[in-house]
Amino acid sequence: MGNKLKRPRMEADEMDLKCFMNLMVVLIPMLLMSAEFAKVAIIDIRLPEERGSQTKSAVTDQPQDKSEKLLLTAIITDSVVTLGAKGGFMPSLFYREFHRYRTRDGLDTLVEYEPGGAMPRHPNGRDLTIHERHEIYLYVVNPEDRNIIRSKHTRFGEMLTNADGNPVEALSVGDTVFALTNPRRMIVVSNPDDFESRQLSAYDELRNRLMKVKDRYRDAEDADDIIIAAENEVIYDKIVQIMDAARNAEFPNISIAKLRG
Amino acid sequence: MSAGRAGKFAKKRDAGLNITSMMDMFTIILVFLIKSYSADGSILTNADDLVLPNSESKKKPSDVNLQLAVTQDMILLDNVAVTPTDDARNIPQEEPDPIITKLEERLKVAMAMEEEMVRMGALNAVQGQIIVQVDKNIDFDVLFKIMNTCGKSGFNNMNFAVMERDG
Repeated sequence: MGNKLKRPRMEADEMDLKCFMNLMVVLIPMLLMSAEFAKVAIIDIRLPEERGSQTKSAVTDQPQDKSEKLLLTAIITDSVVTLGAKGGFMPSLFYREFHRYRTRDGLDTLVEYEPGGAMPRHPNGRDLTIHERHEIYLYVVNPEDRNIIRSKHTRFGEMLTNADGNPVEALSVGDTVFALTNPRRMIVVSNPDDFESRQLSAYDELRNRLMKVKDRYRDAEDADDIIIAAENEVIYDKIVQIMDAARNAEFPNISIAKLRG
Repeated sequence: MSAGRAGKFAKKRDAGLNITSMMDMFTIILVFLIKSYSADGSILTNADDLVLPNSESKKKPSDVNLQLAVTQDMILLDNVAVTPTDDARNIPQEEPDPIITKLEERLKVAMAMEEEMVRMGALNAVQGQIIVQVDKNIDFDVLFKIMNTCGKSGFNNMNFAVMERDG
């Protein structure tokens, strides 16, 4: 009698998960099939033809348009990134180019690139291929001695600027700095060791300058437009990074132009 | 002997899958897969030498249309090889209006088809939209020539495909 009473209780203790398992077995292959591991996005751009007619009209209309039109242009060549607007130019950013190579056998190196130079060598003797180039870094240098400029960054790699929007090279307790997000995030330094000194990236400094331009000329007629002008040899990846900087600084109408001579 | 027998007997009674840990695993896999679920398929052209650059852009490709892929050695329109990329490289850089003739021919055909669709009422207006996938190591020179060709053939609404950065 006692035995009979016990047995049903024992069975109720264990849940029957078989039907749930069946569901999982069906669900997982289905989701696996429609999973997307690399997400593709798109960048909208305007064509050079449109830009051509724009600049043409801008040239003919220049006398009356000069006050309103910004005509912001980001220029990239093999050693310089710079910004121009209203016929003037900001000081150029000279850069040195470093390529990071990653191979299947676990090699991960940073090599300085020289225009026209040969591909770097793998330790086992072969040349590295162009598809093993993982990322391109542009570091701002001092134009005279070509030394890389270092500045303070947050732990997340965001560049820090002071109230004037210039990169910060040294920090002390109580300083007020701004992290390069949009809008800028204010940080009061309580411990200077929280921040790292890193190489100043040309893309970050360009974004910083673009944000300053946006702040100053928010009312301009073409305040959302930017022209990216590149030399023939510039790699597409760099142009995409500059487009990112431009969109991040609220210049969504990007046109592309060719830099001649 | 008797101990062994008792052991065997005990084993038999405990036999039966312990499902709990498996369920934990399945739940984690399920959550991960739902996170990366996407209803619309990938638009990528698969090629060894077509690596898209990383970008912070979050804009999703619309369900269009024509796609152009530019790899290190071939230009492909809708996954059909059109012409070697060297054809574009061989156009002199000083050329003010560089046109890749073979690509232009194909684009004109695609444009005519789009106009035909508008005439039949399948489309409201000629969109001239094209998605361009360019290998990240391509020179700007080639890119410019391709953009010029597309623009001259009536595809003014260009979108560059990029990879979303993680996180």
